[in-house]
Amino acid sequence: MRTKFLFCVSSLTLTLWILACEPARGNEPKQTKENTISVALAAPVVPQKFAGAPKFAIASVTDRSGNPQPLLVYRPRGGVFLDRQPTEIAREAFEGSLKAAGLLAPDAASVNLVLQIYIFHFGLANGSGLDFFGKVEFAATVKNPKTGESRQVQASGTSIANGAIRKKNIQRNVEANIEAALEDALRNFLRGTQLRDAVVALAKPPENAPATVPAAAPPAADEPSGPKS
Amino acid sequence: MRYLMFVLLAVLAIPAAAKEPVAKFKTAEARHYTRMEGVELSPEFTDYLYAELRNELVKTKIYAQVIGEGEAVEEADAPASIVIDGVITEYKKGSVVKEVLIGFSSGYRRLKLETTVTRRSDKQSLATLKSQVRIDPRVKETVMAKIAAKQIAKEIKKALEHHEGSA
Repeated sequence: MRTKFLFCVSSLTLTLWILACEPARGNEPKQTKENTISVALAAPVVPQKFAGAPKFAIASVTDRSGNPQPLLVYRPRGGVFLDRQPTEIAREAFEGSLKAAGLLAPDAASVNLVLQIYIFHFGLANGSGLDFFGKVEFAATVKNPKTGESRQVQASGTSIANGAIRKKNIQRNVEANIEAALEDALRNFLRGTQLRDAVVALAKPPENAPATVPAAAPPAADEPSGPKS
Repeated sequence: MRYLMFVLLAVLAIPAAAKEPVAKFKTAEARHYTRMEGVELSPEFTDYLYAELRNELVKTKIYAQVIGEGEAVEEADAPASIVIDGVITEYKKGSVVKEVLIGFSSGYRRLKLETTVTRRSDKQSLATLKSQVRIDPRVKETVMAKIAAKQIAKEIKKALEHHEGSA
């Protein structure tokens, strides 16, 4: 009687274990229409006021996260995927906010400062398990094309959203969370003291400029020239 | 009957409306906690603590805006703005074996933090708080960060009760 009972329990445990392992052994989550989210800023971020209202241009957005699957933001339960690369999403967010504030250069001739953006983290990070922890982290090189001088600016944004059990709610919360983290990171960048200091420092002529640049050469200021320093 | 219900609802709504806290400070800037030598915690821990602290500060509703680290504040708002800075002074990993064999929270993890609240305009220290979190060693580090953030936000709110924010 006891042997029979033990046999039943062990076979039941084995069956449950096989069933539990099935999805894991099964497959990597695959991107479908149902598990894809679209991340975009709800409203452009208002930047701080810069002296001289410089015009920015975004030269490049590079993914330096080292993530082999940048579109996959959440692995369990069939996965949650982004519809575009994080670099595209970030570029769109940057351009949208700068354009709304009138700080995006309309053409190459009017560019005062060039931004090269390096994304170090985009998506969810390890949280407590009770909620979703969204993190967007990037660094930007702000370069004055006329002088060739550049400064590094770092920014990060975080967001914590409620966890969810239903798949529909998981997707909704992950989307809202990444959007909030992106907005926070962009605000941290555009309203940060690091960018303000970089703009002030790069707006100044180089220290040895007065000695080398003659005073009667202002018309050539718009053209990108070689390094003067 | 309908009239009575309306009156009852109105009476019940009065205390709820009165309890709604008013923002005392224009902005609160939370910064990443630094670690003292010998504190063995992952960098993700400080990131998560920072995020949770900001989240909890928002919940206290005494700040009109909780800004990120290094964000600029209008000069006019600076006297009613605070900066929250801190150090993780001690962390003991705890022991699961001790906890199982002895019990009575003997093997618990222990985290000690020191938080400084300063006014942005004149850098005057408004409060210095010491917090301690003790938690089961089997629980994740991030959960400990969550508890610590909640505790810090609560303590800051309590400490700033008597300070004029003039938001």
